[in-house]
Amino acid sequence: MRRRWQLTGLMIALAVVVLPAAALAAGESLNAYSIWPENWARPMFEEFEKATGIHVNFVRFSSGEALVRVVAEKNNPQVDVLFGGPVETHSAGIPEGVFAPYKPPTYDVLEARFKDPQGYWVGIADDPLVFMTNRKFLAENKLQAPASWEDLLHPAYKGMLQMADARTSGTAVTRIFSILEVYGRDEAKAFDYMRKLRGNVQVYTKSGGGGTIPVGLGQAGGGIFFIVDALKTQQEGYDVVVSFPKEGIGTSTEAIALIKGAKNPAAAKKLIDWAASPAMQNLFATYKINFVPCHPDVAVEPSLAQVLKGADIFPIDSAWAGENRKRIVEMWVDKVLP
Amino acid sequence: MTAPAPSALAVKRGRDPTLTISVVVIWGFMALFILFPLAKILVLTFERGGHFSLANIIEILGHRSHYQAFWNSLLLGGLVGLLGTLLGFFFAFTAVRANLSRRWTLFLDMAIILPLISPPFTTAIAMIFSFGPRGLITYDLLGIGRFNVYGLHSTLFAETITYFPIAYLTLKAILAGIDPNVEDMAFSLGSGRWRVFRTVTLPLTIPGLANAFLLLFAASLADFATPLILAGNSFPVLPTEAYLQITGLFDLKGGAVLSFALLVPAFIVFMLQRFWVGRRYYVTITGKTGSQTAIKSVSPWAARLLLAGCILLSLVIVYFYLLLFYASVIAAFGANHALTLKHYRVVFTEGLKAIQDTLVIAGCGMLLGGLYGVVVGYLVGKKAFVSRTAMEIVSMVNYSLPGTIVGIAYLIAFNDRPIMITGTALIIVAAYVFRYGAAGIRTTVAILQQIDPSIEEASHSLGAGTLTTFRRVTIPLILPGLFTGLGVVFIRSMTAISATIFLVSINWTLITVRILEKMTELELGVAAAFSILVVAIVMAVTAAIGGCLRLFRQPGAPSMSSILGG
Repeated sequence: MRRRWQLTGLMIALAVVVLPAAALAAGESLNAYSIWPENWARPMFEEFEKATGIHVNFVRFSSGEALVRVVAEKNNPQVDVLFGGPVETHSAGIPEGVFAPYKPPTYDVLEARFKDPQGYWVGIADDPLVFMTNRKFLAENKLQAPASWEDLLHPAYKGMLQMADARTSGTAVTRIFSILEVYGRDEAKAFDYMRKLRGNVQVYTKSGGGGTIPVGLGQAGGGIFFIVDALKTQQEGYDVVVSFPKEGIGTSTEAIALIKGAKNPAAAKKLIDWAASPAMQNLFATYKINFVPCHPDVAVEPSLAQVLKGADIFPIDSAWAGENRKRIVEMWVDKVLP
Repeated sequence: MTAPAPSALAVKRGRDPTLTISVVVIWGFMALFILFPLAKILVLTFERGGHFSLANIIEILGHRSHYQAFWNSLLLGGLVGLLGTLLGFFFAFTAVRANLSRRWTLFLDMAIILPLISPPFTTAIAMIFSFGPRGLITYDLLGIGRFNVYGLHSTLFAETITYFPIAYLTLKAILAGIDPNVEDMAFSLGSGRWRVFRTVTLPLTIPGLANAFLLLFAASLADFATPLILAGNSFPVLPTEAYLQITGLFDLKGGAVLSFALLVPAFIVFMLQRFWVGRRYYVTITGKTGSQTAIKSVSPWAARLLLAGCILLSLVIVYFYLLLFYASVIAAFGANHALTLKHYRVVFTEGLKAIQDTLVIAGCGMLLGGLYGVVVGYLVGKKAFVSRTAMEIVSMVNYSLPGTIVGIAYLIAFNDRPIMITGTALIIVAAYVFRYGAAGIRTTVAILQQIDPSIEEASHSLGAGTLTTFRRVTIPLILPGLFTGLGVVFIRSMTAISATIFLVSINWTLITVRILEKMTELELGVAAAFSILVVAIVMAVTAAIGGCLRLFRQPGAPSMSSILGG
């Protein structure tokens, strides 16, 4: 008999564990894959819920992971919105037929590079790449902050650069397309440069910002990151230097897209309207998120504008990048990575 | 008036409709959740344009990095197997033969069990903290500025530390099963200690060593998280490549082909274990070792030396976990060492959903998996029916395959009509039940083999019906099997990642996936806090189940260590 009671006790204990999940709150909500890291996406979604009462359930994935999921789930979409992430991810998704076109009210005032002609995606922020180096590392090696792509090939950087892996990270893809642009889309020359750069790379990280803290800590000497990740590292108190190459460097639009077959289309459209408007983009400064807003009415936060002053930044042609993404990434895996 | 002979019983049960129905139902589930996904992988691997073709394999393995990854995986698995077995033997020999006091045995057991109940990459995090270019040991202690932590050496080290406890538990049981009297005989015939070790103890352990090697080889082959963090870019291995192929290049087919490449060595190991090692040793737990003699096979100074070696290695493990704990309570490792609880605050706010989901899934998986283990174990171990051996083999398939394959197979198989369960908790629960429930099957079968049929016959001859006998005799006897199943499924549900990383979704996420996510976002403090939480939960549940095991202890029932022994 004693045993039976013990078994009952076990069952009750399990029920206590299982029940809370059943008590899920009701109310209007939508589902999203966020490519933005949680500490930026979460405040945005909380503000959105404050403004509209709509709750956003989200999971964060690297851009590659997010897109592969959206494609894999095409016949049975699990989310309504793909939120954030460099636009070449969204461009690559268009031919897969995973997005539905939607033009928010602010569509017409956006610059052409911040929107898809058919409305498959719209921009919510602009995010240039930068060089970021550890100040102590520079001093120890008697270097200036790198001001040219060639500077990163300096032997002092051998095994001391960290940057993202093109197989999982949109940052890496933007970086590769930047290098291609710098070399006038001459693939042989661009890949020759990347091959040389490989010798100085300590590790290619899974996510775009993966190398920022190692650079901050001096575990790595420098790397190529999105400005939003680089300035966050600075804000956290790491002594790092942000610089731009004189040959120019690419920028990527951060985009949002509506999933085809979304189960909560109305709520999803409200999120897109809100994200593509000053309502959200004015919050970047409030939350110290260093994206460059892409709505023309939102002013660039002064300290960010100061960093950007004089930098040569060019947009990546998203259609061209989308078309060539797979081929270029495979080439990178074959020729640069080993 | 006569008691039915066993053969008559078996015949009678053979026509039992309940049996037929259970067998059919079990086969139905196995077909759906084991054979169907596996078939999907094979089809995806060998199909091109509607025909059988080797083109996919040639194309994918033609990439230099993939080809290299295949050999790297084998190399890593072989080395981990070798080193882990050596280390496991060293520990097991010390624990069993060095006349340790209870306190030391307990300390060693506790230290060794830590890696087994942790998420697989906890060692990897601690490695980065210790041996990175600004690591606690390499930089702060030794002053090496540019130590390269990424590559074969650190992956090997981390995996060996993580998996050698499996070898330890396997070998400890075997060494303990060798009667010291056998060694005594050799001594009295005039052999020296070294000669006894070489000619008596070692040969008796060889099948166990082979088994431990295969277990470790398989574990390393399946490990995806450690190389993802530590292997860097110059040492690609298959599970990681398959993962990147799918998540980064959107290439399910390529992922399937790479998984298939992993399947071949995994299958060879499985067959070796079943048909070669499995036949060569059988440890009976009799509880008697003749008249107990003092163990003489190790001289006192050698015992002290062995113990010192073990303590040193245990301290390394303990150091890793202390470091992990330390990283979870400071602001930012390497930059700001102020004490803080902010990482735990993140765990219990943002991470709350993952914790709840994991507990729900682990709870459901544990119940279903325990039940599945006992039912299949009972059928396979006690009943005679057509396809019995086939059922036993199939039940072990998902358990033996690397998790990456199982995860990818599930993703491919259940993502489309007719069964669309991606995105649900069901798919994760099913993955766990059919993968780790196998441990419950093995234990139940082992227990049933040790139950003398005469016990049940005695019950019959005392007038009890089949049902009463089953309820009053058989069930209590196989309860330990149930608890083993419960334990393994729960622990693995809390700590596994290789299969489920492909199965988490917007609705259901897992702590281990969050840890990996936090690690790639470099929120190492949060990752460490999550890991500590998992270790704490698993320890509590392991202790609870260990308590249940002791309550229902039968002669020959497995101890907690056999639950964890792979």
